[in-house]
Amino acid sequence: MKSFLVLSVVSLSLFTAGCGDAKGAAAARPKVAFVSNCVAEFWAIAQRGAEAAAKEQGVEVLVKMPPTGTAAEQQSILEDLLAKGVRGIAVSPKDPANMGGLLDQIAARTLLVTHDSDAPASKRLAYIGMRNYDAGRLCGQMIREALPKGGPIVLLVATLDQDNARGRRQGIIDELLGRSVDAARFDAQDAALSGNGFEIRATYTDQFDPQKGKAVIEDALGRWQDLAGVVGLFEYEPPLVLEAVKAAKRLDRVKVFGFDENDQTLQGIVDGEVAGTLVQNPYEYGYQSVTLLARLLQTPDEAQRRALLPAGGFMDIPARRIDKSNVRAFWDDLKQKTGRK
Amino acid sequence: MALAARGIDKAFAGVHALRGVDFEVRAGEVVALVGENGAGKSTLLQILSGSLAADAGQVRVDGEAVTFRGPADAMARGIARVAQEPQQCLQLSIAAAVFLGAELRRGWLLDDAAMVAASRTLLARLGLDVDPQQPVGSLATGQRQLLEIARALRAEAKVLILDEPTSSLTDVEAERLFAIVDDLRAAGTAIVYVSHRLGEVQRLADRVVGLRDGRNSGELARDQISHQSIVGLMVGREFAHATRQPRAPGEVLLSVRGLVTSAWPQARVDLQVRAGEVVGVAGLLGAGRSEILRALFGVDAPLAGTIEVAGQPLHGRGPAAAAAAGLALVPEDRQHQGLVLGHSVADNLSLPTLHRRGWRVAPQRERELAAHWCRELDVRAASPALRVGSLSGGNQQKVVLGKWLAAAPRVLLLDEPTRGVDVGARGEIYARLDALAAAGLAVLFVSSELEEVFALADRVLVVHQGRITGALPRDRFSEQTIMLLATGQSLDSDEVPA
Amino acid sequence: MKKILGIAVLLLVVVIATAVLSHDAVSGTNPFLSAYNLQNLCKRIGEFGILSIAAAFVIVTGGIDLSIGSVVCVAGCILPWLLRDLGVPALLAVPTVLLLTAAIGLWHGLLVVRLRLQPFVVTLCGLLLYRGLMRAFTGDQTMGLGTTGEGVRWLATGTLPLGDGFGLPVPLLVFVVVAALTSFLWRRTVIGRHLFALGSNREAARFAGVATDRLELLAYVACSLLAGLAGCLFVLDVNSAQASNFGNFYELYAIAGAVLGGVALRGGEGLVLGVVLGACLMQVLPNTINLVAGSNQLEFAVVGAVILAGAAVDEIVRRWLARRRPGKA
Repeated sequence: MKSFLVLSVVSLSLFTAGCGDAKGAAAARPKVAFVSNCVAEFWAIAQRGAEAAAKEQGVEVLVKMPPTGTAAEQQSILEDLLAKGVRGIAVSPKDPANMGGLLDQIAARTLLVTHDSDAPASKRLAYIGMRNYDAGRLCGQMIREALPKGGPIVLLVATLDQDNARGRRQGIIDELLGRSVDAARFDAQDAALSGNGFEIRATYTDQFDPQKGKAVIEDALGRWQDLAGVVGLFEYEPPLVLEAVKAAKRLDRVKVFGFDENDQTLQGIVDGEVAGTLVQNPYEYGYQSVTLLARLLQTPDEAQRRALLPAGGFMDIPARRIDKSNVRAFWDDLKQKTGRK
Repeated sequence: MALAARGIDKAFAGVHALRGVDFEVRAGEVVALVGENGAGKSTLLQILSGSLAADAGQVRVDGEAVTFRGPADAMARGIARVAQEPQQCLQLSIAAAVFLGAELRRGWLLDDAAMVAASRTLLARLGLDVDPQQPVGSLATGQRQLLEIARALRAEAKVLILDEPTSSLTDVEAERLFAIVDDLRAAGTAIVYVSHRLGEVQRLADRVVGLRDGRNSGELARDQISHQSIVGLMVGREFAHATRQPRAPGEVLLSVRGLVTSAWPQARVDLQVRAGEVVGVAGLLGAGRSEILRALFGVDAPLAGTIEVAGQPLHGRGPAAAAAAGLALVPEDRQHQGLVLGHSVADNLSLPTLHRRGWRVAPQRERELAAHWCRELDVRAASPALRVGSLSGGNQQKVVLGKWLAAAPRVLLLDEPTRGVDVGARGEIYARLDALAAAGLAVLFVSSELEEVFALADRVLVVHQGRITGALPRDRFSEQTIMLLATGQSLDSDEVPA
Repeated sequence: MKKILGIAVLLLVVVIATAVLSHDAVSGTNPFLSAYNLQNLCKRIGEFGILSIAAAFVIVTGGIDLSIGSVVCVAGCILPWLLRDLGVPALLAVPTVLLLTAAIGLWHGLLVVRLRLQPFVVTLCGLLLYRGLMRAFTGDQTMGLGTTGEGVRWLATGTLPLGDGFGLPVPLLVFVVVAALTSFLWRRTVIGRHLFALGSNREAARFAGVATDRLELLAYVACSLLAGLAGCLFVLDVNSAQASNFGNFYELYAIAGAVLGGVALRGGEGLVLGVVLGACLMQVLPNTINLVAGSNQLEFAVVGAVILAGAAVDEIVRRWLARRRPGKA
């Protein structure tokens, strides 16, 4: 037992040594937190937005990402932040249907906004993000243009228990099947769905494991020779889909669609291998979330505060469609924002 | 009739271990069950105590036909068996082990105080002076057997089955056990007693039942019991120790100076063994005899001292260095230290010497070597590819001896070389050690059986509290002298240096 | 040998069932038996098979390595960093990663052998430690080769064409080589014999002069080294490693493959062929579900149920046979 303690202390000190940057000076500034739903490049961009806003507004921002992407882990992160006494929290809730109690508890004790994925039933002050259902329909439009004759489609998503995943998927399905706009609709994962020339053969989940994501798409390609399109709904997924389709030598018959702005996705668009992607604006999620929290903190008057909140509690950061026509300009802007080569 | 069995048949994998065996024991009677290893004694005992079910035949307890559902069921009917090599939970406290399965409780809670107190009484009755709160693992092998007897006493068994109870006890402890057996007999307990030590059988048994090759080989009433008649039941031939020619020792092969073991940091050990000499080490349990052998072979690092083999100081630590220098150790605990029970006879025979034949294993060559040593030592196994754990104790011990003889040692160390070994195999091992000494090996062995020490040794070293308290040449061997030295009393004057 | 018969039959049953179930009567094609699918399957078997052999190395000594998934993560993050960010040539980068992971194994081994810490504790802490360090090291960025490294990716995505559209995936070949070498080491060398003696009865092995400490050290080094090798193949295959989840739970798949293949958790027992079969089963089952079912929701449940049913049937058949034929050993 003693040796175990020693080991823990050693690893803990290693760990804290690794994250102990930029403390000290920030001690006096109010703290707000920005919490993602997993670890991904997408959130690294959001982090930069959040940090830029924090600098402008003179607050300190703690960016937290649940490493294994589970709701339980996110919950303990949020509880720790509350315990730490942060003044405001912006979170992309993992499992809004079951986190209502915790979110309301947070809202009662500090300022709470949601981003990326909403929890409409909670007492959050505002939601900053896009309507995933709308983004899904935009994606559906893109697919219809690329495949005017329709065909069998397969969807790949990390998990279906997140609001954004469900919204995107439902938007795509409703648009392809020519259904009315209804963001509240939900088709079961294994429901048989066809119409309007399209057929949704399957929705696969990979639980954030890229090896598994690639494997299920490989299996789908092996199972169905007539697949017309595959959509990767999460940031890391379109490159996996592209890899699998490329290895199967089916790029000429299977169109690849995606969400978000992974470098390989963008490169695929440049090379004509990916038909297009729907991008959110994670930089803006981070930037707007922290800006809103900071402004609320700086505004003592209740009425003035309320005026800061967006109408209907929703700040729309609309999705954009990136295809061959605008990929260059978008990528250059992204590189400039993220400060990468 | 406390316990009776009629027409018991039992086969393992098609081989009959028992055929139509009858056996009975009455209240207040001690029945000795004798037979060579492999004669079926263990199988019969396992059937009588509920560990095995017979293929055919009937077991009756107090005249009532029973089918045991397991050892616990047999225990509930008053039948307790003390196994030769008991399986014990080494981390449990002694008191917890004594009461395992029948814990004393106060309401829902364990009544540890009562169990400790009761255990202390039971252990004292057996002359075992240990703290019941210590873990079982802190006991020596012989003491663990007494613990099993304590369990049976605790259960107030009507029938007590003792399987080689003295194999790891010293003579003093064995005497105490005999007194306990006498007590229990007087109190009306039926006792089944299994032992290879014929003196004990003569001392205790009211009746002797023999088994040979899985069948009844006869019965002896109290007035018929003698050394010869018992051996006759077992082997069907008379067995006698040959009186040996005195040996002529040569140069010093093993020389130890100032050896200090971690078990007895205050004691220094000096000893020498010559080529062609057999030296016995006697002493009470826990006197530090095994510790000396373990330190010599590098299993436990000695705290100080020099060890020379054939004049060369032993360099390096650990058994590998010791083996390379020409030492070999046949350890005390065959099942845990001597053999890899799950591996084949061949693999066990080759283990210490495999690396001497290059980095690759050539299966053909290993098979031939194994076959050679099996022949050489008369290991009775259908094939060297058999699991060594399936062999009888005597054959297992021959494998342990063989694996070290294959290493061609100069000095052979043995710790209880015939524990749990039947009369026949025992004789073969004695003859082998004799031949090895004649061929110029130095042999140093620890034994708790004085009979064995007298039969084999040219010289006896007696150990008490980690120290060698005396060295006796063959012409001064006497039970009384050794017991005096072993209990720490000094002799009058003329101690012979080790 | 008897121990792996059960898994071999189970694998055969699953393969036949999948081939029958996935057969498309309309088009007359069989996706499961298609060259494309078999090729993918072989690739995954190769990658995960190496992990199972890694796990088996430590399990036969009676130990356990729970850090395999995190060591995969280390390889998966460091290799792209070397190749893309530092521009180290592949011929140098891969050996560097293997050396690093072997060093991790050495560290585990030293803690187990010298400090006498329990392997469970050492490697469980390793599981947390390396993943955490990698997250800090990568700053939670996804590591990948991007579009560079086409050449070295052949190791994971390349095939040796055998005609008829089927090619042997390179990872399978790597696995076959690793399996053959391991089998030779276990069955035909002194090291192997000593390794098994140590796993079966450490005390007896020590009394026989076996260098138990050094061998145990070797087992941990081999385990982490092979996990690093598999990690390289994984990242070269999927080209995307996120420190927080790359290789997550792979230690469990690795241990499951080894144990299914008859490697006893108490140590001292196991055949490489069994591990190969176990690894195959662990990859065929998810493939079956993807090819037959509408979604992969039930994947874990089916894998768990089939393996459990297989183990139970195996045991029942064994007992039934033992009772029916008492004459045969």
